Amino acid sequence: MPLPRGLELRVDVVEEVPLFEDGREVFPQGEVEIRAGEPLGWVHLTWRRAPAVARIEATTAQARVFLSREAVADVDLLLRSFLLVTLIFLWKRDGRYHVHAGTGIDTRGRGWMLIGNSNSGKSTTTALLAARGWQVGTDDIAFLVDAGDRTGVLGFRSPIALRSGGYDLLGKEGGLPLTARRKTGFWPEELGSSWVQTIEPEIVVFTSVGGERTTLTPAAPAEVLHGLLRWSLWVMFEPTAAQEHLDLLSRLGRQARCYHATLAPDLFRAPGALEDFLP
Amino acid sequence: MTEPSYRRHPDLRLTSLEGEGVVLHLRERRYFSVSETGLVLLETLKEARTFEELVEGLLSEYEVDRETAVSTTRAFLDQCLASAVVTEIRV
Repeated sequence: MPLPRGLELRVDVVEEVPLFEDGREVFPQGEVEIRAGEPLGWVHLTWRRAPAVARIEATTAQARVFLSREAVADVDLLLRSFLLVTLIFLWKRDGRYHVHAGTGIDTRGRGWMLIGNSNSGKSTTTALLAARGWQVGTDDIAFLVDAGDRTGVLGFRSPIALRSGGYDLLGKEGGLPLTARRKTGFWPEELGSSWVQTIEPEIVVFTSVGGERTTLTPAAPAEVLHGLLRWSLWVMFEPTAAQEHLDLLSRLGRQARCYHATLAPDLFRAPGALEDFLP
Repeated sequence: MTEPSYRRHPDLRLTSLEGEGVVLHLRERRYFSVSETGLVLLETLKEARTFEELVEGLLSEYEVDRETAVSTTRAFLDQCLASAVVTEIRV
């Protein structure tokens, strides 16, 4: 994903990571500790895994990151954990709002968004759909953007990362070992697919896994808003652009048909996969 | 003493989908659902309003009798005051 113009991210690797005086309440997100909101305004991030700190300014699109040598020992991990959260807050200042979701375009040209936690079948389903001719935006990291009177979703280009169970279900040899994450990655092109950066979802699916048969049931409006908020929680941390972020979520709920899905192994036997469930 | 007025917490953000409202409380980092009527009242309460102004607002927005508008407003306002979503202003 190209870095938006006007954003400033300065990263320094230092011998001693500075400590910022900050008495605000800590909100842990994975291995990243977040302090945000009043009275200081700016966002303060620290990493639990290794000494690293970030400061994202409240009213300008500027971030300063200080990393220890220990923190840069595993760059992939650093990027997907600490730096990703830093960028999530920085991109908010440029109108890009993170949502934990996968995106794709089906063979009929319809945009889909799969939302759910890390064990809800998003990546495995995305890989399956990629192998069935869908275009793929992302299996995990997406950003809501204003697309006129609709909500667009940018996909972060990275390999579709499968755990061993998903890898077995896909039944495809090869892939990129993502050792630190205990996963195997496939670029969309390796699965016969192509990457598409932006989609405008027509169908939103809140995913979970279980059972023998895949089911889809319509989601009620209140469930849709709560579901979207749950997986785009960054809206809660600071007043910066919170209303715009919220408006993009509700616009997405209006523009798309929204469903709860329980994904099951039968999806891998059905020739039309997920798209046949919806006319 | 003049009639009290009411105002919503400045850290609230509101949105809706097909008549279902959701309120985000940024200070408390939580969100909750409200009815369509509740959303209209909270939107009005961005500025300080008296109870009577809130009732008049509902009467102009919906085809309801005054008694219903008064009881709806009172119930919602009491709930919001109890949860510190709305504050009372006395001058």
